[in-house]
Amino acid sequence: MEYGHKRKESLFGSVDWVALLLYLLLVAVGVVAVFSASWVEDSENFFAFSHNYIKQVVWLGISLVIGVVIMLLDRSLWHKIAYYLYAVALLALVATLLFGRTVNGAKAWFEFGPIRLQTMEFAKIAIALATARLMSEYSFSISSFKSLVKVALLLLVPLAITYLQNDTGSGLVLCSFIFMLYREGLNKWLCIPIIFIAALFLLSFLYSPTILLVALIFVFTLSEMFANRNWRHGVIYIASLFLTSSMLFLVLNALPVVSVDYYIILLSTTLLSMVGVCVYAYRTRLRNIYIMVLLFVVSVMITPTSNAMFNVMKPHQQNRIKTFLGITDDASLNYNVRQSKIAIGSGGFFGKGYLQGSHIRYGLVPEKHTDFIFCTIGEEFGFLGAFVVLMLLLAFIFRLMRMGDNQRETFGRVYCYIVASILLFHTLINVGMTIGIVPVMGIPLPLISYGGSSLLAFSIMIFIAFAFDAQTNRVD
Amino acid sequence: MREGGLSPRALVARIIVIFIFAVLALRLGYIQLVDDRYNELSDRNYLRNVVLYPPRGEIYDRNGELLAQNRLCYDVTIVRKDMPKSGFDTTRVSNLVGMSREALVKKIKQSPYRRESRLTRYPITVEQKLLLDEMNIGGFYTSQRTVRQYPRKIGGNLLGSINEVTKAKIEKDDSYAVGDYIGMEGLELAYEDVLRGEKGLVLQDIYAPQAERNTILKEPVAGKSIVCTIDAELQQLAEELMEDKVGAVVAIEPSTGEILTMVSSPTFNPDELVIGRERGNNYAKEIQNPRMPLWNRAVKSRYPPGSTFKLVTGLIGMQEGVLRPHYMYPCNMGYHLGGEHIGCHEHRSPLGLHYAIATSCNAYFCYVFRNILENKREYEITKDGFEAWRDYVLSFGFGRKLDSDFLGEGAGYIPTREFYDKRYRKSWNALTILSLSIGQGELGCTPLQMANLAAIVANRGYYYIPHIVREIEGQDSLDARFYQKQYTKVDTKHFEPIVEGMWRGVNKDGTCQGAYLKGFDVCGKTGTAQNSKGEDHSTFISFAPRNNPKIAIVVYVEHGGFGAEMAVPIASLIEEKYLTDTIKRPHLVEYVKGHKIAYPMYRKKR
Repeated sequence: MEYGHKRKESLFGSVDWVALLLYLLLVAVGVVAVFSASWVEDSENFFAFSHNYIKQVVWLGISLVIGVVIMLLDRSLWHKIAYYLYAVALLALVATLLFGRTVNGAKAWFEFGPIRLQTMEFAKIAIALATARLMSEYSFSISSFKSLVKVALLLLVPLAITYLQNDTGSGLVLCSFIFMLYREGLNKWLCIPIIFIAALFLLSFLYSPTILLVALIFVFTLSEMFANRNWRHGVIYIASLFLTSSMLFLVLNALPVVSVDYYIILLSTTLLSMVGVCVYAYRTRLRNIYIMVLLFVVSVMITPTSNAMFNVMKPHQQNRIKTFLGITDDASLNYNVRQSKIAIGSGGFFGKGYLQGSHIRYGLVPEKHTDFIFCTIGEEFGFLGAFVVLMLLLAFIFRLMRMGDNQRETFGRVYCYIVASILLFHTLINVGMTIGIVPVMGIPLPLISYGGSSLLAFSIMIFIAFAFDAQTNRVD
Repeated sequence: MREGGLSPRALVARIIVIFIFAVLALRLGYIQLVDDRYNELSDRNYLRNVVLYPPRGEIYDRNGELLAQNRLCYDVTIVRKDMPKSGFDTTRVSNLVGMSREALVKKIKQSPYRRESRLTRYPITVEQKLLLDEMNIGGFYTSQRTVRQYPRKIGGNLLGSINEVTKAKIEKDDSYAVGDYIGMEGLELAYEDVLRGEKGLVLQDIYAPQAERNTILKEPVAGKSIVCTIDAELQQLAEELMEDKVGAVVAIEPSTGEILTMVSSPTFNPDELVIGRERGNNYAKEIQNPRMPLWNRAVKSRYPPGSTFKLVTGLIGMQEGVLRPHYMYPCNMGYHLGGEHIGCHEHRSPLGLHYAIATSCNAYFCYVFRNILENKREYEITKDGFEAWRDYVLSFGFGRKLDSDFLGEGAGYIPTREFYDKRYRKSWNALTILSLSIGQGELGCTPLQMANLAAIVANRGYYYIPHIVREIEGQDSLDARFYQKQYTKVDTKHFEPIVEGMWRGVNKDGTCQGAYLKGFDVCGKTGTAQNSKGEDHSTFISFAPRNNPKIAIVVYVEHGGFGAEMAVPIASLIEEKYLTDTIKRPHLVEYVKGHKIAYPMYRKKR
């Protein structure tokens, strides 16, 4: 009994062993895949440090050592230094922007001799801690507009810097915080339109403004109807809107003098109706409708002006989005995704066997050990292997969410959810781009992709969550 | 430790996560399990189809000596994608592949990025290939194939040449593809189907070309070699003797119809037209030569046969019953009747058939010709007689293609009744066309047809269709038509007096005593064909020995003067070479070789 009591007291006795095992499995998959992706048959020295897989193993060792150190530190430390870390992170990002090294067009790297670090990888940890700290303040309220603006500012500043670094892909990961915000109680009818606007931006390249406008009207009216449980008014609103605009369209076109596009009529009718909607909101005191109206107007503005907005983007970003949407015929832009799809697609159910993937062997897939590591898994281990890896990631994310839910304090819960959000975002974008359902963004598959700074940063981030979890349990 | 239940938000958050992973897994399952498009695309990504070109069949002479053989060479193809980003020594590469540096850089720039394309139409040699391999530049590939080379450098027109297949041909025959080689002219064209072989196809792993992973989809089948009827030494001798003269030599083995020698002069060195960078220039040079070396005179040119045709006139006369060998006709320096006048040289008169042939009397055959056409017992009008005469002539192989295996054979020309009706507005008779009797007038015969006439007389009345190929690898026999005796319409019994006349012409008191070979009973008939362009054509048909003939030959030298002057010594030397395997008359060789004929008519037109 005494022994058992001691175990509870000890730090490692309260570690979430399942989560740790999942972590170790994922990094092991990473090393195995990186070995395959960078192995050359006639290589002279198997253990030479120049090999990627050896480097990856070394980085894994460093990560584990740092992980143990983190576990030994007291959790309150992170709460104390969160804002200082955030400040240091911002300074580091700016410093990178000024003095950093350019890799693949992104000036996002710092170089210390043979070691190359992507600043944003580490800045994420500080941003996560700072966000958690902010949201755990007593004055913070998820339903307060002022509080939300604070969170938005906290995220927008590093995002802006990554944009300047030409590395928006890494910065966009901060968008995933919406997942954590939802868990924290952000109005869900606010979440949906925000996500919708993001999707709309992409869709505006594919569909005509008319179709998008109609879709927008439906989505917003429907979310209003769900939010306020007022079905009748929503139906009446949509019906009258389309009836009025159609009548106007017929009447105006019947006149010989004018010929008007249906889009113009529907747009003006809808915008005019916003006045009525606002009056309705004032009378029924449904304040969330104001936010809806605001978002709707913004969305409507996006649709026809998306091309103008598009031009603000960097050319390679434009190309990536265009490629994703199938707008361009330029084969070299589609090449990465195409080769990646072919590599994965040719894997079949059982795969071609370890070290047998022809695409990986022949270097047909670019970045096969970093951003496109999932191709290696998909081609050599087939659907079975890829599915198992996905399930490992899913289980790990679930485990992190479970850690968050078990936290007693907001700080720990928010932090764990942020880590889960970041992993989820990385997985969705990275795997999604290799199978062609998400535009290409240069972000790694967490714990699996080759890259020392990525592995180390994810490990630190994860071990902090482990430490939170373990120390909550120990206190128990 | 755990709280009682999850908050609704935490639950929905988990559902969202599961939803995202479900989307990824479903899409993954779709492209990996359902959509099998990717398997094929995957293969195409790193496998390339490599055509394995078969070696072309080789050509041997009748004694097994190589006339056309294969030389290994390599096509160079490039894939721009695989080329080193840092560039490479373009100067060295351009030297190796025989392009200018600018052309090379331009070609690479214009080549497709990922697809394999040919760098140049011209193959490189083995040495160049090895040097290129040594440089080990990415993106350069070589594939093996063969081009011709000619050990003896003879028989340009006879063998023909090879070139890349044209677009028009590919459209007509889909067994050819861009970059294939095809026989042009001559034997290469005639036996293209036999010589070409079958292309093979291998699926090669681009990144490991030597690996056992290569799948051979189809093994190439080498072209079959052929043994042709040509005697290389004889051919070479004939070409040398005909140097600086325009004309043709055709020699046939009468007992088989095999063509022993076929020279069209001037000829060209077949090596000059081997596929390569120089082919274009050489071809242009040959085509601009006013003497037209690419025109195969031996089978295409229409020449007036001259006095050699008297053999035919005599034979028809006997068959028609209007001539007996002992019939005597007078000749007073020619044939004179009314306004018509055909001259002759001075000889004994009157004279019989044997001597008429031996001394080549014009008047004698004018009488015979008139008797054939104006044979009132047989034909009501002269024109019917003419048509009967024409039928006989055609049965000797004149005025039509002989149907040999050599493509591009000309038909020659024997005028028709309609032709004369038109020309003389229907008012013509035997006298009008009297010059036909002595092989002048509108007659046009190819040297091959004249050689065939020599073979007919040698065989006493029949011929085998002359052919150029003796044996095809893997085939027991040739086409059946080459084994059938083709009889003329003249009974075989009428040939002996003609042979006697030809023998006498060489061995006793005739025009061609220069062709005498001790012990071989050479028979021959000279011809001196008048023409509008200049000096008379010198021709001679001959066979030897008289009994059991081994060789029948025609030599035709354009504007060579009297038959005896040029054609007789050439033919005689060839016969001597063929029959005795040596030449014991070097002075005669020197005489022939030293005799250069000027051809003002072949001067370059301006």
